[in-house]
Amino acid sequence: IQYERVGADVTMKCGSMDWDATVTWTANGTDIDESHLNGSYLILKKVDLTQSGQYSCYEGSSWHLKYQTYLRVGTPPKEPLLMCRSNNYPKGFYCSWHLPTPTYIPNSFNISVIHGTKEMVCEKDVFPKNRCHIRYLQLFSTVKYKVTLTVTNALGKNSTTLTFDEFTIVKPDPPENVVAKPVPNNPRRLEVSWQNPSSWPDPESFPLKFFLRYRPLILDQWQHVELSDGTSHTITDAYAGKEYIIQVAAKDNDIGTWSDWSVAVHATPWTEEPKHLTTEAQIAETTSASTSSFMPPPTTKICDKG
Amino acid sequence: MLSCPGPIRMLSCLVLGKVLSCLVPTRMLSCLRQEGSELCAYKDADLQRIHEDAEPPSVREDAELLCAREGDSWGIFTFLCAALCNLPALPALNCTEELGAGQSIQKTYDLTRYLEHQLRTLAGTYLNYLGPPFNEPDFNPPRLARAERVPSATVDLDLWRGLTDNARLAANYRAYSRLLCYLRALDGQAGTAELRHRLGHFCSSLQGLVLSIASVMSSLGYPLPAGPAGPPAPPGTTVAPNDFLKKMDDFWLLKELQTWLWRSAKDFNRLKKKVPPAVVTLRLEARGF
Repeated sequence: IQYERVGADVTMKCGSMDWDATVTWTANGTDIDESHLNGSYLILKKVDLTQSGQYSCYEGSSWHLKYQTYLRVGTPPKEPLLMCRSNNYPKGFYCSWHLPTPTYIPNSFNISVIHGTKEMVCEKDVFPKNRCHIRYLQLFSTVKYKVTLTVTNALGKNSTTLTFDEFTIVKPDPPENVVAKPVPNNPRRLEVSWQNPSSWPDPESFPLKFFLRYRPLILDQWQHVELSDGTSHTITDAYAGKEYIIQVAAKDNDIGTWSDWSVAVHATPWTEEPKHLTTEAQIAETTSASTSSFMPPPTTKICDKG
Repeated sequence: MLSCPGPIRMLSCLVLGKVLSCLVPTRMLSCLRQEGSELCAYKDADLQRIHEDAEPPSVREDAELLCAREGDSWGIFTFLCAALCNLPALPALNCTEELGAGQSIQKTYDLTRYLEHQLRTLAGTYLNYLGPPFNEPDFNPPRLARAERVPSATVDLDLWRGLTDNARLAANYRAYSRLLCYLRALDGQAGTAELRHRLGHFCSSLQGLVLSIASVMSSLGYPLPAGPAGPPAPPGTTVAPNDFLKKMDDFWLLKELQTWLWRSAKDFNRLKKKVPPAVVTLRLEARGF
């Protein structure tokens, strides 16, 4: 395999053949025009990505294969983007990285984590995940962590470093299982409940606080509620009959930053069935005659809005 | 050292600015000023005098020693607390019924959050005063041996999890007592008047935290840790060999203080979950059963 940079000029020799020998070059099986030849050398000027492939050199008359190589056109790595985050405080943290632009050739990554004077081991995830995990040995450390990532490929290398305190990288995953339900007989209420993210190991000692935002689909402005405990909340000022979109985010009570917003849930507050649909009302009345209540009870409706 | 006497009489007061309850502990922390540096010692003699019916003037004297600075509002209130505590009518008041250990733990937790917030501004100002590189956000110096004197919050994860309530509280108490001493030494040398004012205010609040932890320990029946054996001379007294190292000392002090406040929030979270049975026994005692 031969690696070359995009835009470079490539010269390929046909193995041990003399310069003035008669040869034919092929690229991926297709003959290459003689204009690219300098004697028996193949000259490719300012190669681009499309020119990657298998190049073969055959002796003129006998058609013996004299030389073959794979050409891979790519770029040396640009400075990688590195991010470290603790979504499972106080167990540890993970670092994840990627290249801002592809190199089109294979890259290898090396990550080192230094805490004060100690070098820590970052357990890598299986390729192709660019991620590794670290376990905290000590908690409440005043010494910063220094993470260095080096990317190397056949055409060059590059690296980046992140330095941070234990507390600054704490960011939980968004809350899970967000459920929003209308409240029967309450046209302006919605009951929202959710769960702690499953990646957060110890909500007892490291409680989370939550941020809820909601708006009717027809409006752009969100309303916010911050909740310092509990995993449910009742919205009491919803516009009657309007569909709402609701999201929740989480944060450690004292340190770090807010999680991303949870998956959005939609819900519409309970509405009373309109009385002018006479057929339904009549059916409802006849079927509910035995229960004898003042209003046609919504539960006996045929089309239940839920 | 003395353990808490049987029936504990406590008093709730309101502190200016923040509605916090201060429970006057069975021990009082006195601070003696000595040539710019301070030694912190526990005056058990105070304890005796408060519980016997001493005349108000001697109480006043003690209260003045309680970190009283000119215009220190905390000092004034502490004085009032101490004075009121002495009135014979008070034993009839039994506020412990309303203030369980759970609530005082909550208040101590709130205090750590308040202090952490205050420290952010204070540290910013102080580090700017020290100048570069101390005020640079990515300043990451190696920890020198001399910094080991400042109590560190760093702890092994499993060890921290396994701490008993007593050990947890005691660690906090010891740490903040010492940090307070060091901070006071800082105050004595701080450059600008604004800085001294901020430091003074912070010290008062930190003093409140120490007292708050002490009261939680008392209400749970834990003995207060022994006073610093041979009071640890704050870095101010052992003169740093040069100006830069002195600044490094200050830098690490503020860093450890900040980390301790983060840790305490977690410590008190853990404590909040538990309601120790010892509290129930104490309450029965207080009612004279």
